Amino acid sequence: MKRIPWGVLLTLLAGFALGLVYAWTINPLQVYDSEPVALRADFKDDYRSAIAASYAATGNLPRALARLSLLGNSTSTSTETLNSQAQRLIAAGEFAEADQLAALALALENGTVPESLPSPISTLKNNPPLQASAAATFPPTPEDIPFQFTETPQATDTELAATQPVTDNPTPRPTRTLIPTVGAPFALVSQDPICDTNLPDGLLQVLVFSSSRRQVAGARIIITWDNGEEQFFTGLKPELGNGYADYSMSPDLIYTVRLAAGSDIASGLAAPTCQTPAGESFQGGIKLTFQQP
Amino acid sequence: MPPVTCSDIHPFMKSTRLFFILIALVAGIGLGLAYGWVIDPVEFFDLTPDTLRADYKTDYVLMVAEAYRTEEDPGLAARRLAIFGSQSPSAIAADSLAFARANSFADSDIALIQELVTALQAWSGIQ
Repeated sequence: MKRIPWGVLLTLLAGFALGLVYAWTINPLQVYDSEPVALRADFKDDYRSAIAASYAATGNLPRALARLSLLGNSTSTSTETLNSQAQRLIAAGEFAEADQLAALALALENGTVPESLPSPISTLKNNPPLQASAAATFPPTPEDIPFQFTETPQATDTELAATQPVTDNPTPRPTRTLIPTVGAPFALVSQDPICDTNLPDGLLQVLVFSSSRRQVAGARIIITWDNGEEQFFTGLKPELGNGYADYSMSPDLIYTVRLAAGSDIASGLAAPTCQTPAGESFQGGIKLTFQQP
Repeated sequence: MPPVTCSDIHPFMKSTRLFFILIALVAGIGLGLAYGWVIDPVEFFDLTPDTLRADYKTDYVLMVAEAYRTEEDPGLAARRLAIFGSQSPSAIAADSLAFARANSFADSDIALIQELVTALQAWSGIQ
């Protein structure tokens, strides 16, 4: 009977362990040719901001969608991530960047997912050249012009495991698609006096909804009065809703409120005088609700 | 019959045994390296943008160029490109322009990146 060569087997195992230590610890594979999904969270934020800035300039939603999918999010989670990032930027005072992110989030909610998705990421594994075929559309949308997308079916939650299309053929010519157009501002759907002793006096509450009844974060609200104007944003109190914002009105002033993205104008707003059950008077508030048609 | 002792083993047997042990060691190391580098390499996450593949870098530069076309703010474009590390913004954009040309990007995209490169070179001169 042959003896088991324990010495040889043990040496083999020891060599295997040495090899693993070298390959995993001492000299692991160098990182290059990584994909955006592997980026650190703050760099993903930078990437997302660049996508939003590009979208603000071109209005090219399919290309923005394809780029967002590189970060490993589906359409629905991209919207949430964009809104969340917009809120953080608002809190940090980066209003322009926040506007771009919120506009892209809004477009994702209202826009359509292209029927033919770009090639999946995996097809890029062998370093084929990236061909950006999505249309470059100009001119850009001015900041205060509201977005309206004609023919806006509900966005689907289709997983966009896709990236820029890869092909060896010449890139298709740009076509003009999905340009945000002027029109269809947010409509003022309700304006209600609020008499609630639990709320601060003269509280103006604003709620902003998209056409799909989802609250819109980062919407800039402009409030004006005689010789004065201020701006505030939805989403700064996420515990009350992403589309919620409030403002403390002075009792002697008449206000006008509108959304910077374009909306009906709520004018002649003044804190109503309310009475408690005991007959004492106090300053009530107003609740405005805007919704995109 | 007296028992066999180590001193009785032939030197040829000893060297053969040593040879097999060395072979096993080398094979083990080879297997370990193959497993650690090919079969189950270290997975990386939380990476920095300078590790991005060239086409992704170029697409990022294209995004910056698209935004620059509207914003016309070379400083802002340079800040956006600064995530790639120590290279100058114009050099980063120029690298991407070369990649885009070499890989037959759309003419409109190449024109955008070219515009950005020109603007950043002029901006770098002012700085």
